[in-house]
Amino acid sequence: MKTTNWNRFFIICVVCSVVAGAAGIQLIRIQNIEGAKQILANSEAYQGINRVIYPERGSIYDAEGRLLAGNEVIYEVGLDLQAIEQPETVASVASSVLGLDYARVLGYTQMTPGNGNPYFVVLDGFVSKDKIAQLESIKEDYANRSTKRGEVRPNLLGLVWTANNKRSYPEGALASNILGFYSFLDRTDGIGYFGVEEAYDDLLAGEPKEVYSAIDPNLLTSLEEVPPGVTVQLTFNREIQAMTETKLDEAMEWSGAENGSIVVYDPETGEIIAMATTPRLDPNEYWNYSELFPNPKPYNSAISSTYEPGSVFKVITMAAGLDSGVVTPETTFNDTGSISVGGATIYNWNMGGWGEVDMTGCLQHSLNVCLAWLGMQLGPDRFYSYLKSFGFDRNTGIDLGGESHWPLKLPGDGLWYEVDLATNSFGQGISVTPIQMVTAIGAIANEGKMMAPHVVKAMVIDGKQYNIDPVVVGTPISAETAHTLTTMLVNSLENEASSALVEGYSLAGKTGTGEIATPLGYTNTATNTSFVGWGPAEDPKFLVYIWLEKPEISIWGSEVAAPVFSDLVSDLVVLMTIPPDNVRLAEKPGNNSLVILE
Amino acid sequence: MEKAMKKNLLQAYKQAPWRTQLQWIGIFLLVLVGVAVVAGVYLMISGRAAATGRRIQSLEAEISALEMEISDLKTQYAEVSSAKSLSERADALNMTMLDPLEATYIEVPGYVPPSQPVLAPPPAVEEISTPVLLPEFTASLWDWLRLRVFIEPSLPAESTESVTTESVTPAPTEVVP
Repeated sequence: MKTTNWNRFFIICVVCSVVAGAAGIQLIRIQNIEGAKQILANSEAYQGINRVIYPERGSIYDAEGRLLAGNEVIYEVGLDLQAIEQPETVASVASSVLGLDYARVLGYTQMTPGNGNPYFVVLDGFVSKDKIAQLESIKEDYANRSTKRGEVRPNLLGLVWTANNKRSYPEGALASNILGFYSFLDRTDGIGYFGVEEAYDDLLAGEPKEVYSAIDPNLLTSLEEVPPGVTVQLTFNREIQAMTETKLDEAMEWSGAENGSIVVYDPETGEIIAMATTPRLDPNEYWNYSELFPNPKPYNSAISSTYEPGSVFKVITMAAGLDSGVVTPETTFNDTGSISVGGATIYNWNMGGWGEVDMTGCLQHSLNVCLAWLGMQLGPDRFYSYLKSFGFDRNTGIDLGGESHWPLKLPGDGLWYEVDLATNSFGQGISVTPIQMVTAIGAIANEGKMMAPHVVKAMVIDGKQYNIDPVVVGTPISAETAHTLTTMLVNSLENEASSALVEGYSLAGKTGTGEIATPLGYTNTATNTSFVGWGPAEDPKFLVYIWLEKPEISIWGSEVAAPVFSDLVSDLVVLMTIPPDNVRLAEKPGNNSLVILE
Repeated sequence: MEKAMKKNLLQAYKQAPWRTQLQWIGIFLLVLVGVAVVAGVYLMISGRAAATGRRIQSLEAEISALEMEISDLKTQYAEVSSAKSLSERADALNMTMLDPLEATYIEVPGYVPPSQPVLAPPPAVEEISTPVLLPEFTASLWDWLRLRVFIEPSLPAESTESVTTESVTPAPTEVVP
């Protein structure tokens, strides 16, 4: 009996051990067969996925910290074909809310995933929050709907939506020539075009990162940090930019000009205070680009369009003459009304002679003959050396995408003739961009120091703000020459009783009327009218450059561009809080600041 | 005689067979209960780890959604306070541009004009990246024992915990490019 019990117990233990051992061996065997390895490999796909995270594109702000380009939430709505239970319901709701064709959506919902068919179909990649709210409301309504026996509760299983960022420009077309645009319709390969969006595309975009995202909660790692793109703060003030654009639009309408550009620049720092051009594109609808800018119309004419500036260029020639010591303000010239250079005869704008005039008079009456004579006195070497010093042989390097310039014709080039020295002296036969003119003349308003024009004031990278300091790119003339020329231009404006004057403010300035070259020669029926002015004269805070192309009401810069300057500066001094001369110059020294009371 | 004595002595001190069987059964059940307890604890910890992991995943998704919503709200705010919008409101209130010669300027002693706005976020707590789940929650029992007994036996328990070191990032600096 005793032996029998022991045997039974022993047999049970052995059987249990054998079964357990067999199960163990089988477990080990299953884990090592070829199929197991395949299953293990497949299982890794369910543990997590590698995905590329695109950082949020950096925002763009104006000088006061107001948002100019940011991001808004937009939804991608699609069909998870494996999850759809009620194709008709899904198709009906999706087509009605998203405005899609019912038959097409129904076709998608009835597809069997796999075997060449997709598992996921995107219905619309850019759905607004309002429409998503409608979908959510319908979904909730279905979920709460009471059903009778045998009745099937409707559902939207398989209709899914995910949130994404989309570039947005809350100010619409304001400053779009500076901002450029981002092709947000291309979610993964979008790039910035023109302006800041192009020039700073890499920084704004940030660095996309491939990260492993664990689905298995046991494999979870800390959230991968993907820093957003760089935030950029621009130099211009939104209100001044808006005002400048309004003034330009009014000037275009009033004058009948084909195109126009106005640049407001801080000569002391090189910061762009405003830059208005026509036409302007709403970057929220950038697909209208080719319609608004038919080839070869540039996106930002202030930095990309070259034109013969005419008499505003006389400021540069006079600066060279004064700085080199060839002339002084008191130097006189006997203007007979014409001068022959290289076999060609140069005339004044009124075809008449002005007799003996000093250099201020030459600028005041905008005498081509006088400036051509001055160019001859300088000689080609000195004259073109000054033009190079002023940067007319290169781009200014402004931090905007799309800048261009016209090559400077120089002695020795096949295209340069002796007469070019004379015509270049008063701004004909030479092509420049408005930003080149602004940068060069800025040196005259800034004690001879030419500043790098720029639109970016600061950048925020990894939570730290980096301010952009002004950069001197050259000193083409001395401070003394700059002061002398500014005084001459203040006097010439006042003597002329120019329509550019603004009561209460001392301003320096010069008009320009440039004839336009055609295949048949220069035409005087259509001109480029310009004005450059800066102030307050004793301590310039702004420089304004105006270019109106082919105005209809007059061909003269003094009648078209000069009054626009006056109108603009009247508002500009208010927005920049620059008091009139009598208030400003009477300001007591000390830690007092003037503020506008009303 | 001696043999008989020895046999009797062995019989006198030998465990009763039923008692020996009970001992063996007891040992077997003890091992079984031990294994069941370890398995139960292991399952409980694994379950809690999985639930925590899911919650973390959900919170991560919420962070992403909130970041997008913040950007969206900033943009919405910019739209309602855009230059065009404010200009229309000013026009509706019959406001006009100030004539510079009609303005009254006053001196304000000590007044400091507004300076350039700082767009950088304020100095923040810097988090050192650490594993979300401790090895205790992710390693197998064997791996954990091996780690504790053989590899890092002297490692204090605190050092493997998720550590958030508070260190203030340097203040924004201005640099010349």
